[in-house]
Amino acid sequence: MKDYDVIVIGGGPAGLAAAISADKEGARVLLIEREAKLGGILKQCIHDGFGLVRYGEKLSGPEYAQRFIEEFHIRNIDYSVLTYVIGIEKTEHYTVRVVNTKGVTCYRTKTIILATGCRERTSKQISIHGTRPSGVFTAGTAQAYINILGQMPTKKCVILGSGDIGLIMARRLTLEGAKVCGVYEAKDSPSGLTRNILQCLEDYNIPLYLSHTVTRLFGEDRLKAVEITKVDEKMAPIFGTEEIIECDALILSVGLIPENELAESLHVEIDPRTKGPACDQDFMTNQAGIFTCGNALHVNDLVDYVSESGELAGKAAARYIYKDREYISIDTDNEFLYFLPQKIHIRDIENEMTFYFRSNQVLKNALMTLSVNGKQILKKKYRNLKPPEMETFKLDISQFKLTGDDKVTAALKGENP
Amino acid sequence: MSRIVSEKSLNNKLREAFNGNVTVHIENNCIRVTGKLDNWDDIIKACRMCVSKDKNLHVVNDIQLIGSKIPDMRLPKEHSKELEGERPDVLIVGGGISGASIAREISKWNLSILLVDKEPDLALQASGRNDGEVHPGIDLNKGSLKQHYVLLGNRMFDRICEELDVPFKRRGQYVCFSNRCLYPLIAAFAWQRKYICGVKDTRLVGRRELRSAEPNLNDEFSFALYNPSAGCVSPYGLTIAYAENAVQNGAKISLNTAVLDMDVKNGQILSVNTNKGTLYPKIVINAAGTFAEDIAAMAKDRFFSIHPRKGTNSILDKKVAHLINSIASAKFIMKQKKTNTKGGGILRTVDDNLLVGPNAVETYEKENFATDRSSIEEVFNKQKKTAKGLSERDIITYFTGVRAATFEEDFIIEKGRKTKNIIHCAGIQSPGLTTAPAVALDIEKMVIEQLSEMQQVTRKESFNPKRKTIPILREMSDAERTRLIQKNPDYGVIICRCEEISKGEIIDALNSPISVPTVDGIKKRVRPGMGRCQGGFCMPLISQIISEHENIQMHKVNKSNTDSYITLGEAKEASL
Repeated sequence: MKDYDVIVIGGGPAGLAAAISADKEGARVLLIEREAKLGGILKQCIHDGFGLVRYGEKLSGPEYAQRFIEEFHIRNIDYSVLTYVIGIEKTEHYTVRVVNTKGVTCYRTKTIILATGCRERTSKQISIHGTRPSGVFTAGTAQAYINILGQMPTKKCVILGSGDIGLIMARRLTLEGAKVCGVYEAKDSPSGLTRNILQCLEDYNIPLYLSHTVTRLFGEDRLKAVEITKVDEKMAPIFGTEEIIECDALILSVGLIPENELAESLHVEIDPRTKGPACDQDFMTNQAGIFTCGNALHVNDLVDYVSESGELAGKAAARYIYKDREYISIDTDNEFLYFLPQKIHIRDIENEMTFYFRSNQVLKNALMTLSVNGKQILKKKYRNLKPPEMETFKLDISQFKLTGDDKVTAALKGENP
Repeated sequence: MSRIVSEKSLNNKLREAFNGNVTVHIENNCIRVTGKLDNWDDIIKACRMCVSKDKNLHVVNDIQLIGSKIPDMRLPKEHSKELEGERPDVLIVGGGISGASIAREISKWNLSILLVDKEPDLALQASGRNDGEVHPGIDLNKGSLKQHYVLLGNRMFDRICEELDVPFKRRGQYVCFSNRCLYPLIAAFAWQRKYICGVKDTRLVGRRELRSAEPNLNDEFSFALYNPSAGCVSPYGLTIAYAENAVQNGAKISLNTAVLDMDVKNGQILSVNTNKGTLYPKIVINAAGTFAEDIAAMAKDRFFSIHPRKGTNSILDKKVAHLINSIASAKFIMKQKKTNTKGGGILRTVDDNLLVGPNAVETYEKENFATDRSSIEEVFNKQKKTAKGLSERDIITYFTGVRAATFEEDFIIEKGRKTKNIIHCAGIQSPGLTTAPAVALDIEKMVIEQLSEMQQVTRKESFNPKRKTIPILREMSDAERTRLIQKNPDYGVIICRCEEISKGEIIDALNSPISVPTVDGIKKRVRPGMGRCQGGFCMPLISQIISEHENIQMHKVNKSNTDSYITLGEAKEASL
């Protein structure tokens, strides 16, 4: 059985960054990818806007991925594509069982970085009823058909959900000659980035309808129409406001769910707010030697942060030594949609810590504070906070000489517009 | 004619209930109900009022529904002369569990068998839209055909599933009670079922035993009726397996083939018209599910009616499979109307999903499989009382099926009454999956008996009762899996990440004896797309595999029916 220091599961932007960073630290690294090519979902994201934070350039998804893939290959890091992890067993270290065209193979490793990305919510998970015709796609599936397979999934569609992939697909389908009847969003504010609302909808005169949802599908074979209904503040459909729109496809962009089935099989604690593992500043989960990063940890708004968390997790995993950790958890108030990391391990703090958070609602002139035992240690002002836009900051926490009795709290205040 | 039913007193009751809009005539050994009503539920009520204790006397519904159009049977789009002039010894109409099991049993004989189904695959109606329970028969009283066959059928499942290589698990069934006071009553009921009805495995279990077997059920349950013989099987999996074994033994199956009408003279079906030509069968078997009445009418042998009753089930993520290890339902005794089938429960499938449901709603639309939010809510409100921890959040999908109930709520398994060369296998609703293996054997006897009068019928020496399924790689040992992958590397390429299905298994499905090269056809055979992402990741890959294997353009790959295309053609070049 081959031995590694770090096995990275997932060859998307998080996994590539993690593998490169662990390799830089001198670790023996193996990256496992279930698809035939590295790059993850970026392979089908042919629009631009990737890399603004990291490179100050607007790259397409494949271009962004290529920079990492090239570095990955220059470093000669071990990898295996078309390889699927069928199980992980905790032995003295970890044994990762994989299947590929050669058969079932096991690898031993000290640490694992889960960079498994996320999946899309489906029509059934948001309780859409009616018939079961073809023509109902999640936005990512429609994107795979058009950008990878070159196949047109619709000529006239309704998009439900204003998540970023939905907005990108509204523009993409329009450019390919399809009619996008509108983007319908059940919430009263858009889910996607403002820049995508402007560049993908407004520039192409695609209407956005807030507080509306799809309640029913029609058509026996192919989708023929959808029923759109207005919803109240609790997102419950308002009876009597139904409207039928003829279309041949419904494209869903109604949320992403971090994929953590492997993590769950290892009894990794999952934060109900992020739906990803709870972790410390090293991106390590409650299971010793199991690290997490990218969209498997939480759904990021920009790929740049996905890479960043991969790099940090890779470095930490490479340097990891089995030793009990002492933690204090960070208490956060309800104004946060979520706050990462959930806990700090207080011994041997070496580096500055990276934090990520999202607000629960739109806030103006917001103030985020971090306190130790009630004493503010950090204050940050934000003119605008929106749930679709993730915030991040760094702080060297070693200066506070934290002990197990200390209480760390994060608070968020702001005005409702 | 038996006169248990008094036409006059029935008419008096009907007059009172429906203002003289409905009348009944006992004619031709049928209870024919006629009139006009504007509400389907009233039609059901009127027909139910006329049900006789005489088992040979069925209610025939000829009440006209005013104000709503009962939809016509959906027909396949294609027309051809593919089957023109064929003269099968046996024509089976319907590719559900009944038709498929009958085809397999008759394939033991040297006969030409043709099974037709109007749908693009087998088991697309009731047989593919139920919970797959193999019933113990605890809910049935002595005297009905259902009860007779459920006991026989249940016992046959181990052997049949072994022969056909179909996963089957006897998980056991608990019907749970909260009210301790009911214990003597239920104990008496259990005794009656065990010793009078012959459901021999019936016993009562107390709180402690129930708790240790099923720790996640409602804490209030104080005891339960337990039948360890209850099991589960994939209902479409078993149907496909039966049909494949029939094909291996020489039967022919023609999908997308609808029976349109028949030429009947002197009590004899001379020919059968389909969208693929006219056939001249010696015997016709009516296994047409909700359309069995329509087929009987074409054969001029209509002596029963089907009133469709739909039910919706939800499928839950495998992650919550631990909630239930068996099949469980609750009986909260209240002033409940007598319902027609059991009121739903929670079942752990062979594939370790939980199935929750079904409910029961009368409908005049035989093929309306649309789901409703209210059905799911109704079922969950009820079943959350059965198992704590049950949540709508874990639903990955839901489906509706339509039961083919007669007004007598029993099966009709008999030779034609006026038309000699038809055998009806009608009114097959729950527990029709459980009964199928036993019913098929009896129908086999009827067919052989009748054909033997016309010709010499001999056993097929080469009959092979064994069917081998597509290997399930995820269930194999590492060594066995590796061995198979080294022979065929496609078994090592995982296409469906949620269900761990390889490309090799998908290609095996495309090469199977009854290949249905559609996304749904593959899904029914080897499960890609059945998991939590519902095909989000694998559907494009499966489109591609089908396209390559069948050598068709990708936009010709369908989800299911001819018009269920997935893409329109190449981007930019698509005919927009």
